[in-house]
Amino acid sequence: MPPVLSVKDLSVSMNGTKGMVPVLEHLSFDVAQGKTMALVGESGCGKSMTALAIMQLLPEDFRVTSGSILLDGVEVLSASPKELRSLRGNKMSMIFQEPMTALNPLYTVGNQIGEVLRQRRGLSRRDAHAQAIQFLKAVQIPAADKRVDAYPHQLSGGMRQRVMIAMALACKPKLLIADEPTTALDVTVQAQIFDLLSELQDDTDTAIVLITHDLGAVAELADDVAVLYAGRCIEQGAADEIIAHARHPYTRGLMACVPHLQLGRAIDHLAAALDEIPGMVPPLGARGPDCAFLPRCAFASEICRAQPQPPLDRINAGAAVSCWRHQEIAPGAMA
Amino acid sequence: MTTIKSTAVKPDTTMLPARAATSPIAAALRQFARSPAGVAGAVVLILIILATLLGPHLYGVDPLDIAGAPLTPPDADAWLGTDYLGRDILSGLLQGGRATLAVGGVAALITIVIGVTMGSLAGFFGGPIDTALVKVTEFFQILPPLLFAMVLVTLFGQSLVVVTLAIGVVSWPSAARLTRAEFLRLRNLDFVKASRAAGGGNGHLILRVVLPNALPPIIVSATLAIGVAILFEGGLSFLGLGDPNTMSWGLMLGQNRNYVLDAWWTVTFPGAAIFIAVLAISLIGDGINDAINPRLRKRG
Amino acid sequence: MNISASADVLLDVNDLVVHFPAGRRGMFGPPSKVHAVDGVSFRVRRGTTFGIVGESGSGKSTTAQAVMRLIPMTSGQIVFGGENIAEFRGEKLRLARSRFQIVFQDPFSALDPRRRAGDLIREPLDLLGIGSPREREVRVRQLLEEVGLPPQAANLFPHQFSGGQRQRLCIARAMAPEPDLIVCDEAVSALDVAIQAQILNLLKKLQRERGLTYIFISHDLGVIQHFCDEIAVMYLGRIVEQAPAQAFFSAPSHPYSWSLISAAAPPGPLRVRLKKDYLVKGDPPSPVDPLPGCRFVQRCPFAIARCRDELPVLNIQADEHFVACHRTGEINPPDFASL
Repeated sequence: MPPVLSVKDLSVSMNGTKGMVPVLEHLSFDVAQGKTMALVGESGCGKSMTALAIMQLLPEDFRVTSGSILLDGVEVLSASPKELRSLRGNKMSMIFQEPMTALNPLYTVGNQIGEVLRQRRGLSRRDAHAQAIQFLKAVQIPAADKRVDAYPHQLSGGMRQRVMIAMALACKPKLLIADEPTTALDVTVQAQIFDLLSELQDDTDTAIVLITHDLGAVAELADDVAVLYAGRCIEQGAADEIIAHARHPYTRGLMACVPHLQLGRAIDHLAAALDEIPGMVPPLGARGPDCAFLPRCAFASEICRAQPQPPLDRINAGAAVSCWRHQEIAPGAMA
Repeated sequence: MTTIKSTAVKPDTTMLPARAATSPIAAALRQFARSPAGVAGAVVLILIILATLLGPHLYGVDPLDIAGAPLTPPDADAWLGTDYLGRDILSGLLQGGRATLAVGGVAALITIVIGVTMGSLAGFFGGPIDTALVKVTEFFQILPPLLFAMVLVTLFGQSLVVVTLAIGVVSWPSAARLTRAEFLRLRNLDFVKASRAAGGGNGHLILRVVLPNALPPIIVSATLAIGVAILFEGGLSFLGLGDPNTMSWGLMLGQNRNYVLDAWWTVTFPGAAIFIAVLAISLIGDGINDAINPRLRKRG
Repeated sequence: MNISASADVLLDVNDLVVHFPAGRRGMFGPPSKVHAVDGVSFRVRRGTTFGIVGESGSGKSTTAQAVMRLIPMTSGQIVFGGENIAEFRGEKLRLARSRFQIVFQDPFSALDPRRRAGDLIREPLDLLGIGSPREREVRVRQLLEEVGLPPQAANLFPHQFSGGQRQRLCIARAMAPEPDLIVCDEAVSALDVAIQAQILNLLKKLQRERGLTYIFISHDLGVIQHFCDEIAVMYLGRIVEQAPAQAFFSAPSHPYSWSLISAAAPPGPLRVRLKKDYLVKGDPPSPVDPLPGCRFVQRCPFAIARCRDELPVLNIQADEHFVACHRTGEINPPDFASL
C-alpha cells in the first residue's frame, strides 16, 4: 500500500534581510496508514515549519525551495488554492499547541464542530449537531450532550484540546498533524490525551505526524521518528530502534539530559549532575556546510571538521544517521 | 565535593553578539528617520518654529500697529494683507505663532502630567485608590470639554495662562485612561515583580520600571495632544474667549470672523497656519507610533 | 509537624492562606473567593532543596510568591531565619528582601526589556545599598562569570540573549544580594531540554558552593526527583503529601501522587500498568469556593462518603512522611518492585 504522506527532499527557506536563509534542508519521510511519525527536536530545529509546509500554511516570508509532498497521491506543493482547501479538512487536518487560541471564542464548540461537518460533508444543521455530540463522546468528553453547547472559555485546557481533536477528526482525514498537542496541558491531562490519540488512531487508521520535543511521547506514541537539528534530519528510523540504540550524539544527548523518573529505587541525587549539551542550536543564517552539531558535540574530531554535514546514512533496515563517527560511537553504550 | 562532574560552569557564550544593540531610544529615532511622513512633519514643524522665533525680527512690523488701511488685500506693502483694524496679517502670523505653539505645548504638558500621574497611581495600586481616581477621571470626562473650558475662562479671566490651564484641565482624562491601561497590563509582569523582589519600593517601580515601558503610547498621545490643544485654543479664541492682548492664530481667526466673506485673507492665512501646524504634529505622532510599535512585538 | 533540630530550619511557613476575590455568584449572590492557597505549612532546612509539585491551579506558584511577599496573603506566618516576615511592612520588608530572591519561569518576561544586563544584575545592589558603586561593578562581573556568561554580556540588552542565557541572567540577579533562599518558580519549565539540564546543573553548583537553600516549584516529577531533598505535592491549594524525596518515590501514599507518578513514569510495561490503575480522569476542578470535603474527591478513584464531607489533614505516616487522606492504610499503593 502506498504511504498516506510521502515527503521527499523537502527544503524550506526564509526570505530575510540577508537573502534566502535555509530553515529546513532535504527532509524525506513516509507515513503509512495508521502509523505515527514523530518529528523531534529543540525549538528552532524546523519541526513546526515541516508541519506548516505540509499544510501549505507557511508564514509570509517562508518558501518551499525544493522537494515534493505527496498526500494520498496528490502533490500538495502544486495544488491550486481550491484543491488545497479541499485537501485541508478532507484529507489532512492539524491540532495546535494552544487550544484556547485555536478555537473561536464567540461560538459554542458544537457550532464549531458542526460548521466543519456542514461545510465538508453537507450535513443539515440538525444532523451536524447530533454528529458533534457523537464526536465529543468519541474524544471522551463527559456529559457531551451538555458540553456541546458550551463556549470554549467554559472548558478546561484538556477539554479544549479534546474539542480540537474532535474537530480535526470530524471529516475523517487520512492525515492528522499534531503540533506539540500536549505541551500546554497538565501532566495528568497530557497522559490522557496521548491515550486518546492512540485509541482514536486504532479506530480510524489515521496517519499521524506528531511534532514534539519530548522523547517520552515518542516512545509512547510513535512508530517512526526523525530527529531534526538546525533544520537537518540527523537521525531517522523506527522509534524503538532509535530510543534503544540512538547513534547520533545529539539524540543521545537529548535523552541523557532529561531527568527520568526512577521508581522504587534509591538514587543518590546529590551526586548526579545531569549530562548536558553545551551551547545552543545555531540560529538561522549561522548554519554553514559543516555538521550543524559540530560546535556542541563531545565526539567531534578532525574527520568532522574536515568534511561537510555527513549524509543521512542508512545503517540497517531500522535506522539512518547523519554522523561521520557513528560506527565508532557504539550504540546502547550510554547511561 | 570536587570530584563531581561539572563543578566548573561551562560558559554559555554561544552566539552572543559582540556588541550591544543600540539603546531603545536610538533605535526608535533611527526608525523614525525612515518614515517619510514623520520626517516631513518634523521639517515643517521646525520651519514653523524657526519662523515664529526669527520671523518677527526679520519682518520688523509690529503685529499690533496699524500698518495700513483696514482690510487691504495682499500687496507689496502688506504681503498677506491687513485685518479689520489695518494690522499686518503676516506679522500677526509670525508673532501669534509663538503664543499658539506655546499654548499647545504647555497645555499638552499639563494634560500629560495630570493624566500620567492619575493613570499611573490608579493602575499601579489598584483597589480603592484605583476606584477613587477612576471616579474623578470619569467626572472630568463627562463634562463637555469646550463648555467646561469656556466656563473656566469666563470665571478666571481671558488670559493666555488661564486659557492654557483650562485646555490642560479639560483634556487629561484620555491620557489618564491610556496610562492606567498600560500600568494595569505591565504591573503584573514578572520583571516588575522581579524588581520588587530586588528591593524596589513603589516609587522606584512606578518611575523607573513601569513608566519607561508604558511610555511609547504616552509619547504618541502627548504629541497628538499638542495638535488638539492648538485646535482648542483656536476654537476658544474664535468664540471670543482668547486672550485679547496677546496675538495668536486663534485670536486672528476670532477677530476677523465677521469679514470672512469680504476679506478672505484675514481668516484664510491664520486658518491655514493652524491647519499646517496641526497636520505636521499629527504626522510626527504617526511617525513616532510607527517607530515605537515594531519594537513592542519584537521579542528576541 | 516537628522537625527535631529547629536550628537548621531556615524557613517555617505556618498555615499560609491566600484568597483572591472572584466576583459574585449571580448579580446578588454572595462574593466568591479563589482559594489559591488554603492552609499550607512546611519547613525548609538550610542548604536543602524543598520541591513543590502540582498541576495548574494547585497553588504552588502562589505559595512561592506569597512566601516571597510579592502578592498579598490572607493569613499565616512566614518565619524566615527566626523572624515572621509576614508582619514586615514598608522599608523593613524592602530591606529584608536581600535575603530571599526568586527566579521566574519565563526568562523573556522577567527582564525589563529597556535595561542592559549589567544594570539589571546591579539593580538589587543599588536598591538595597550594598557596596560602593565600584564594588558593585566588580560584583556584576563576578556574578556573570559564576553563571557562565562573559563580562561583555553586561552591556547587552535582554533581547540579545537566548532563553537559556536569559535564565542565567535571572539567576545572577537573584544571587546578587547574596540571599539565603532562592525560590525557583518553574525556573526551567520554559526551556528546551538541553538548556534545562544546563540550568539545573548551574543551580546545583551554586547550591554546593554557597550553601543556598532552594524552594523548587515544578510540574515535572523527573526534575523534582533529580533536584529536591524534600517534596510536597499540592492539589487545589493544599498540600496532600509531603516527604523526603527517597521516601516519596519509593512509597508514595496519596492517590493524587500516584496519578502524577503514573503520568510521569518512563515508557514501558510499568507505565502502562500504573496508568491503567492510577491515572485519574479529567482536569483539576476550579479553586473557586471549593466544597467542604477532600479537594481531590471528584477525581479520586478511591473516594468514599467520608471524603466528601470531611477535609483530611496531613497525618504522619512514617518518619517525616505526611499524607492527607482518609483512606491511608485501606487502599493499596502501587507496587513498583513487582514489575
